[in-house]
Amino acid sequence: MFTTLKIVLIAVVNPGLDLERSFNHLLQGMGLPSSIAHLLWLPLPMLLVLTAALIGVLVTVWLERKISAAAQQRVGPEYAGALGILQPMADGLKLLVKEDIIPHKADSLLFTLGPILVLIPVILSWLIVPFGQNLLISNVGIGIFLWIALSSIQPIGLLMSGYASNNKYSLLGGLRAAAQSISYEIPLALAVLAVVMMSNSLSTVDIVNQQNTTGLFSWNIFRQPVGFLIFWICALAECERLPFDLPEAEEELVAGYQTEYAGMKFALFYLGSYINLILSSLLVSILYLGGWGFPIPIDLITNSLGQSPNAPVIQILAATIGIIMTVFKTYFLVFLAILLRWTTPRVRIDQLLDLGWKFLLPIALVNLLFTAALKLAFPIAFGG
Amino acid sequence: MGTFFQKAADYTKDAISAGKYLLQGLAVTFDHMRRRPITVQYPYEKLIPSERYRGRIHYEFDKCIACEVCVRVCPINLPVVDWVMNKETKKKELRNYSIDFGVCIFCGNCVEYCPTNCLSMTEEYELAAFDRHNLNFDNVALGRLPTNVTTDPSVIALKELAYLPKGVMDPHELDKNSPRAGKLPSEVSVKTIENNKASVGEKT
Amino acid sequence: MTIATSTELICFLILSSVIVSGALGVVLIDNIVYSAFLLGGVFMSVAGLYLLLNASFVAAAQILVYVGAVNVLILFAIMLVNKQEELKPIKGLKIRRFFSGCVCAGLLALLFRVDITTNWATPGPKAIGEIATERIGEHLFTDYLLPFELASVLLLMAMIGAIVLARRDVISIELESTDSIPQNIINNSTDNVLLDQSSD
Repeated sequence: MFTTLKIVLIAVVNPGLDLERSFNHLLQGMGLPSSIAHLLWLPLPMLLVLTAALIGVLVTVWLERKISAAAQQRVGPEYAGALGILQPMADGLKLLVKEDIIPHKADSLLFTLGPILVLIPVILSWLIVPFGQNLLISNVGIGIFLWIALSSIQPIGLLMSGYASNNKYSLLGGLRAAAQSISYEIPLALAVLAVVMMSNSLSTVDIVNQQNTTGLFSWNIFRQPVGFLIFWICALAECERLPFDLPEAEEELVAGYQTEYAGMKFALFYLGSYINLILSSLLVSILYLGGWGFPIPIDLITNSLGQSPNAPVIQILAATIGIIMTVFKTYFLVFLAILLRWTTPRVRIDQLLDLGWKFLLPIALVNLLFTAALKLAFPIAFGG
Repeated sequence: MGTFFQKAADYTKDAISAGKYLLQGLAVTFDHMRRRPITVQYPYEKLIPSERYRGRIHYEFDKCIACEVCVRVCPINLPVVDWVMNKETKKKELRNYSIDFGVCIFCGNCVEYCPTNCLSMTEEYELAAFDRHNLNFDNVALGRLPTNVTTDPSVIALKELAYLPKGVMDPHELDKNSPRAGKLPSEVSVKTIENNKASVGEKT
Repeated sequence: MTIATSTELICFLILSSVIVSGALGVVLIDNIVYSAFLLGGVFMSVAGLYLLLNASFVAAAQILVYVGAVNVLILFAIMLVNKQEELKPIKGLKIRRFFSGCVCAGLLALLFRVDITTNWATPGPKAIGEIATERIGEHLFTDYLLPFELASVLLLMAMIGAIVLARRDVISIELESTDSIPQNIINNSTDNVLLDQSSD
């Protein structure tokens, strides 16, 4: 987040806060051709978002441990840095230097490939996460659909690692994970479809813009409360968070598909699950909580203060507020997920599938039809 | 048709009440978050054991008359009393006494039955050792004074829940001289006890 | 040749070699699990080809449907089937393989002929990019409505068939009670094992 800000300050700011254009201007001013400038620009947002995701994971791990401790009246990590803030870093370092064990009878190729296949789609999905009007890697037209497609690759990686471990717990965990993943994908996609229908676009930027016309009250959560609940439940299930953590239920399956993993390969799973949690929270905030939008529209504030919304300082301020709002909403949802973790007991596998297929799927369908009807009836309020 | 709507209504009601209970549960979890941790950070902080704590047994060699009552009352006849009969004085002469704390269950029977009170329970509980044979205490080890939590300068001694003032749950940052809830036997005057006895007598 | 076109060419070559070798692997590898995973790789590479053609929606749909659903289901089927029996070697395997190889080679030759004889329009129609999604939707609900509906009816039939197969109570299976249960066991169970002795 801070690095983004720094680049905002370094780059020559243009109206619209288009960092790419200003970066290109800067390099062309130094005598470089525009194609080279574009090539130099390309890796920057990717690295930035990757760093942001990793820092987000560190913060989330720390928050998870601290909030869990608070909910159970413990202290939690304390000695690594102030309030144990360096504990996730220490954990990561430990995992880095641990021996990389491949079990003797495991299938070493698939065993190595599994965690990679789990992690890569999750990281790729950050492509479409916007922190502001132009603050995203790529505003691809298929936007949110890309995320749904990419997250369907994950079960392959889970099945792969479950199978390759040559361990019955791993295999069961992998199968459970895949079953859970594909059965919750459908209501999830239907909930997203209702939002997409209202905003007439798959692009995440358009979805957020459509919600930020009149501030807080135009957020999708008020127009799609049922969709919000469905999406949140499905997102928790996709992330294998409690109460849906059956694939790694300690009491039954040791650690599910992660049982045989150690060192960096385990770290990939760990990283993947937390990046996925943050990503899901980000997408909930983008789809339903107005993304980077402030509860009061920024334009309204600037106009009432008599400032032009295109002034460079206002642009930087608005972008900063946007990033802060996105992160704030995301971490609020992460907090909610952690709170849910210590409130709800784990569901059984049959309850899980019942909930997915017999409850969420029909309700998501009804929600979709209802949204379509409302869109036809009240095109002003529901994005006609 | 009526039954279908009835079913649908019941289903909706169930779903709503389930959601309500979920929110209730979340509220409870949230409420727990503002409570202070009850953690006692062990090597740095220690709880003061209660007055009747049954810790490591202390033994005074000089008081012992080698009667072996402790051995007889022990559930597993654990104390080893090594004595010889002095033929001239016709008295038992104690040579060694030992208790294996790896086997002892700290029931306190020996302490209770000892005729000369040479056995007593201490508040020492840190008996970890690298070798279980180190837990077999002889009379010298048994005669050592117990380590004391309150006198150790490197340890913050915390009061247990029963020794805190009324309504206080947290031993941290508590005034050292704050009274415990209720009264000590010494604080209860003889008069009140007699009054109580009298009232009990009247009833019967 | 600009950077963009050369990158595109390199990507195309990599993707097509992955597709060809992956597809050969799917057919030739003995281990069925490996074949299934390789199939997933082939599907993903095909999605990559669609991406190269600027058809991002089709690429995402390819991943969602083929990798996320079809391939996962294949893997499920493989991993849930607990097959213990050894497969017997089939007689005349070499001749069978030879004939199937001939058929495949013939098909390949046919494809090559189509490829060579057809007058491909190069460069092809310009990719419409971002609005492709809308255009696909329009076509599905106007020109191609009948095939679209037929496909959905087919899927519905498949789904109902699956439900009928999965639900045992729809097909009433007769209990295999050919060897009759000895009736005296049931009668015996009503006898008092513990006799009430208080009345004696």
